Amino acid sequence: MRTASFVRIVLGFALSLLAMAFVHAATPPDASPVILIQNATVLTVTKGTIEHGSVLIKDGKIAEVGKDLKAPSGAQVIDGTGMFVTPGIIDCHSHIAVDGSVNEGSISVSSIANIAEVLDSDDISIFRDLAGGVTTANVLHGSANSIGGQTVVIKLRWGQTADKLPFEGALPGIKFALGENPKRSNFSVPGREKRYPASRMGVEETIRAAFTEARDYKNAWDAYNKKVAAGEKNLTAPRRDLRLDPLVEVLEGKRYVHSHCYREDEILMLLRVAKEFGFKVRTLQHVLEGYKVADELVAAGVGASTFSDWWAYKVEAYDAIPYNAALMTKRGVVVSINSDDAEEATHLNQEAAKTIRYGGLSHDEALKLVTINPAIQLGIDKRVGSIEVGKDADLVIYNHDPLSAYAVVQKTLIDGRVYFDRQQDIAGRPALEKEKKELLEKEKKAAKKSDDKKDEKKPGDKKPEDKKSEEKKKPEDMPKMPQADVNGGAL
Amino acid sequence: MNRAKCLATCSRVAFVASFVAVSFVPGAWAQAPTATTYAITHARIVTLAGPVIDDGTVVIKDGKIAAVGAAVEVPAGAQVIDAKGLQVSPGFFDAVTQMGLSEIGAVAATVDSSETGAINPDVVAATAVFPSTEHIPVTRAAGITEVLSVPGSGGFDSFGGRGLLAGQASAFHMAGWTMEDMQIKKSAAMVINWPTIVTESFDFATFSRKHKPFAEAKQDYDKQVNQLTDVLDTARHYAQAMGHGGPSDFERDVKLEALVPVVRGQLPVLVFADRARDIRNAVEFCDKQKLRMILAGGEEAYKVKDLLRSKDVPVILRPVLTYDREDDDPYDRLLTQPAELVAAGVKIAMASFDNSFARRLGQNAANAIAYGLSPEDGLKAVTLYPAQILGLSDQLGTLQVGKVANIIVTNGDPLDVTTEVKYLFIKGQLTSTDNRHKRLYEKYSNRPKS
Amino acid sequence: MKFHASRWCLLSCVTVFCLAAQFLAPSAFAQGGEPQYFAIRGAKVVPVSGPAIDDATVVVARGVILAVGGKDVAIPADALVIEGKGLIVYPGLFDAFTDVGMSSPPPAGQGEGGPRGGGQPAARGPEDRPGASPWRSAADEATLSDKRIESWRNAGFTTVVSAPKGGFFPGQAAVLDLAGERNGDLVVKTPVAIPVSLNPAGGFGSGFPDSKMGVLAYVHQVWLDVDWSTKAEATYDKNPKGVARPRYDRVNAALADALEDHALVLIPANSSLELRRALVLADRWKVPAAILGAQMAYEVAPELAAKKLPVILSAKWPEAEKDADPDDVPTLRELRFREKAPSSPAALAKAGVKFAFTSDGITSPADILKSVKKSIDAGLAPDAALRALTLTPAEIYGVADRTGSIEKGKIANLVVTDGDLFGEKTKIKMIFVDGKRFEIREPDRPKDPPKGDLTGKWTLKYSSPEGDEESTADLTMASDGTLSGTLTSKRGVATIISGYASAEKFNFLVNIPVQGNATDISFSGTFEKDTMKGTISVMSFSIDFTGTRPGSGNKSAEISLGGAK
Repeated sequence: MRTASFVRIVLGFALSLLAMAFVHAATPPDASPVILIQNATVLTVTKGTIEHGSVLIKDGKIAEVGKDLKAPSGAQVIDGTGMFVTPGIIDCHSHIAVDGSVNEGSISVSSIANIAEVLDSDDISIFRDLAGGVTTANVLHGSANSIGGQTVVIKLRWGQTADKLPFEGALPGIKFALGENPKRSNFSVPGREKRYPASRMGVEETIRAAFTEARDYKNAWDAYNKKVAAGEKNLTAPRRDLRLDPLVEVLEGKRYVHSHCYREDEILMLLRVAKEFGFKVRTLQHVLEGYKVADELVAAGVGASTFSDWWAYKVEAYDAIPYNAALMTKRGVVVSINSDDAEEATHLNQEAAKTIRYGGLSHDEALKLVTINPAIQLGIDKRVGSIEVGKDADLVIYNHDPLSAYAVVQKTLIDGRVYFDRQQDIAGRPALEKEKKELLEKEKKAAKKSDDKKDEKKPGDKKPEDKKSEEKKKPEDMPKMPQADVNGGAL
Repeated sequence: MNRAKCLATCSRVAFVASFVAVSFVPGAWAQAPTATTYAITHARIVTLAGPVIDDGTVVIKDGKIAAVGAAVEVPAGAQVIDAKGLQVSPGFFDAVTQMGLSEIGAVAATVDSSETGAINPDVVAATAVFPSTEHIPVTRAAGITEVLSVPGSGGFDSFGGRGLLAGQASAFHMAGWTMEDMQIKKSAAMVINWPTIVTESFDFATFSRKHKPFAEAKQDYDKQVNQLTDVLDTARHYAQAMGHGGPSDFERDVKLEALVPVVRGQLPVLVFADRARDIRNAVEFCDKQKLRMILAGGEEAYKVKDLLRSKDVPVILRPVLTYDREDDDPYDRLLTQPAELVAAGVKIAMASFDNSFARRLGQNAANAIAYGLSPEDGLKAVTLYPAQILGLSDQLGTLQVGKVANIIVTNGDPLDVTTEVKYLFIKGQLTSTDNRHKRLYEKYSNRPKS
Repeated sequence: MKFHASRWCLLSCVTVFCLAAQFLAPSAFAQGGEPQYFAIRGAKVVPVSGPAIDDATVVVARGVILAVGGKDVAIPADALVIEGKGLIVYPGLFDAFTDVGMSSPPPAGQGEGGPRGGGQPAARGPEDRPGASPWRSAADEATLSDKRIESWRNAGFTTVVSAPKGGFFPGQAAVLDLAGERNGDLVVKTPVAIPVSLNPAGGFGSGFPDSKMGVLAYVHQVWLDVDWSTKAEATYDKNPKGVARPRYDRVNAALADALEDHALVLIPANSSLELRRALVLADRWKVPAAILGAQMAYEVAPELAAKKLPVILSAKWPEAEKDADPDDVPTLRELRFREKAPSSPAALAKAGVKFAFTSDGITSPADILKSVKKSIDAGLAPDAALRALTLTPAEIYGVADRTGSIEKGKIANLVVTDGDLFGEKTKIKMIFVDGKRFEIREPDRPKDPPKGDLTGKWTLKYSSPEGDEESTADLTMASDGTLSGTLTSKRGVATIISGYASAEKFNFLVNIPVQGNATDISFSGTFEKDTMKGTISVMSFSIDFTGTRPGSGNKSAEISLGGAK
């Protein structure tokens, strides 16, 4: 994560301490109807562009894509004249929808922590990113540790409860981090000893030590299970270790590794360690010097998920270039552009578009960076990432070519349901404002009533005028939520 | 654009670029002064001072715009750039940056963007702008031809230190060997960071939340406002004494002296404030103190737009691509604000408020246009309007004869994210768009297949 | 507040002289030489376990209820007869989760999470067992010296569930009756619950766990370890030869024992997000559980009902912060929450969830019933409210066989009022705890109405033997001049036990541990507008103080909360 946005995020979470994230009437849309989007420019990503095209949605899936589709009876028709339809944007690096801190930053191997257990369906960032066309996000643990916590892919089903957010069937992940953040180059905790590792050498050894331990742990369990199968009695099972379980899953290929990294040397280090222990790194996150070792990435079959144009916020980002995505793409790496930031995620389409200018990618290549490519990286490309028959109806309707700063999202659909509708959102604002005003008034009245009650019974030395002026001074209400967490923020 | 022609003109630029790369001149530099006259022909010209010229010529001579029009003759000896299919516009003016004051945000040794202490009116940005910074060539490649570098403007690059009176902001061109070459106005505005009433804070030492009762926080705030008042009152007396020549034992004071142009109304104050209450208080304060106020930040300026209009206070807005302040804010609150302010008659400019993200200036303006700002106002918000707000529109901001030739030639809408700056003129010189990023790109594009 | 230690040694020899005793707000005294037998005759009895009985008789004998019924109930000859005409007898109220009766409030700064700092090394993982002291027992730590026992009792509470504080596993909770001669008399049953905290304590960089997800993982690992070590030890005991001995772990052992004693794990959860998560946690942890808090239950009551988890429901409704920035407008969601929270009890009742009320940090016990009244106004049947304050908590904690209702043979925990329990003007006349009678007397204090409102944050300055010091008194004044609130000093936050204002005079009393002994400290003096002056009395020692109320137009200089200058 860029450190410049560190401040933004720290400020953000300082603010978020004031009130947990809530807003707008968050009721999810009803079960998916039959919808026909008509007469739009359909950017399928994998099967070309269809001018004046239609997309038919049934049971949450894309049922048909073509030029002149007829609306089945009872279908809801969306007029797409002048509009552009794309697959839902997939953000391969997100920290939204997390209750509390995204870092268990205390220990260098925090694989015991699991983002999936603290998903926050009330986080307003879900709505805002949805309004920016994002339908799927890879919600990652922060980058404070060499091996971070467990991660989860979600769909931005705003209004649904937290248990409805995870992307069904998507493999879980684990966050790794290399370089300045895990070695704590840019900050220290006052009064605390410097944590191991404090160098890139130590980062490698931290990972190696953890996987050595995980391998032993796996062997112990395998041996135990074998004995049990052989009918041995009076055995003590190995102690279950929630820290090592996910690492065993990595070794068994049941969990993806998403590693935060910047410098070319550390990237190759991780690929070597992975080879040594026989696991695959699924994605390299940020990977700002990926362009220097693009061929090695291709050889390792690892995906690269990077920023559009962030640079110079720390030393390891000084060789960052906006051509990174394009250069890696041209060398054959599967590349995505990610946000790492709730605000950045609202315009990932624009960020992808920058690769047209920086590195000359084609329109389709650029759009892939935020659709099918992240889907491939997350192993969900059979379900999402392009407009194809049978895929989930996760779609965005723009009023303009999405690879431009002038495109405004009009509607976002997930599973064939309209989760965001710009016109509806605008139309709904006055009612929410009114409700808020009324609730505030009501509280004020109640407060005044209890004050008046005091006055009645209390013949103090103050005249009513005095009382009034005092009331004016009384500060108004302030949010006080239950269990407000003092932690937060991504690093 | 005609591909062959492009290659021809580009190769010339590339030659100079390679020269620079070889001689390791970092950052800012100008074209060898062989040509002083240029003619950009067959271009779509957006002058921002009249209707768009669909197929016209711009003549640049001795650093200035010598002619603009559909039927302009190309002077003899002029270097001609055939800009068929390209658009010519004024270069962008990024009116709040830390350009040259910060190289790598996380490395304190490379950051000079703010002083310690509350009252530092005497420090001047221009003093510490590093002409060889990598940020200048990177940023100008995105069409930004001049900037205001602002001390104590906050953000990560300031290491938290902001101060009340943070110093003098300097305007300069984005090319030159020395600050003397680059400088437009050494002292363009005095920076005031308007204090805020902070009841909730975050303690980085303990990583915990701190709450202060409002009354207590208000006292802290009042103290700061009083401090500001005192300094300005003292400066006013000082200015008076100076005006009278001063007694023989008149003691000079560098801090007060720096404030003399401020209290005399000669130097505007660039006041950073985002919350409506702070903006309101700042406007009232400046009104009472008779200061020429420019508001910077303005996240909640829409709440006080009538006041801003009635007091003629212009606003330099922070990027519209900023996360909304309140959970209950509409998701497009900041995106629609520029249009709302312009409709209310408030003068606005848009700035990056950053260093490494300065190149997103155009993108921010385009987003404001997508959410209701007129395309003309959007482009002016990053060209003419900042020049006007900072009193520099006699030199900059439009393509008009006599103005400094800070011009960009782009392959499309200069604000959009896919558009590339093909040619760049700063102070009338054809200036390279080469930079650290392009060089690294070329180097690693040429890495042999392994 | 901090006084010189050596001075204290001398002072502690002197009999504790409670200067403030004469001013104590509604105060009840156990009368010496009282009979062991009582009969309340002609009162309305609300047994909760059955329908109300008019003109009824309750007989109390040696701590238990001997009989309850109509006029036909025989009254023993040696019973003290109380004429109950116009009175209503209820079971003693039961505060289902508090720290009343625990030795001392935790010092300021020590939050929910584990004890930190003080040179303690940061935990490196769950194996270091950070913030875990589950062997601590409320039964062992219960002390009569906690003055809140009296104030809770005066508000009608005869019984509480209390637990030690601090850390993720602070210790084991016990059912306490709020009276006795020795500390051990307090304990009704132990352990009954294992509270856990899910909030990280120290923040980023303070040692494991410093995040919410880290805490969740940690707690989960502990439950796994408890289960594993129980099994591993059993296996080892059967056949110790040739295998490594499982390591003894005090945390595992204490938790395993408590679970064996059927203690409920209390999962804190207030928002709907937390509540839904708590349901998942109860399954994941595989322990008998109850939910603690549940303020947003109005959104998730049916889901809670489906899981059949009991709820210890907070009666502390969310409200606007008093000293907040007027420009910080709360979110709509927050406003809705504040509006709807009092309807949570009704929602739970409707969904059929078993719930009991907890005072949850309400500092003035008289406010607990007022708070419950709000939920009645929001749709909760008064009967259901009463049950949630009496029999249901007894059922949840497994003590309904001995308390919680007025039934023959149960502990004589009674509260006698002069009207409906939730009536605004109703007064509590007397209380029986373990059959001992406590009468509420009108406070012996001046009756003049206060000249002004003392409500607000006061900065108190004084010179102790150690030098100049400061404390903050956060006062709330009721319409009759009764004072409540907190006193924040270097020693921590202390609840004001009693206090009043009358004419220009005021007095309030706190109880703060001094050298391990709970000690009364009284503040008395006079006030005028935003200033006050007077005397701090502790034992026989007194010092002068002055106070100011900043923020009410008072232009005092800097204020530092509870810190010495």
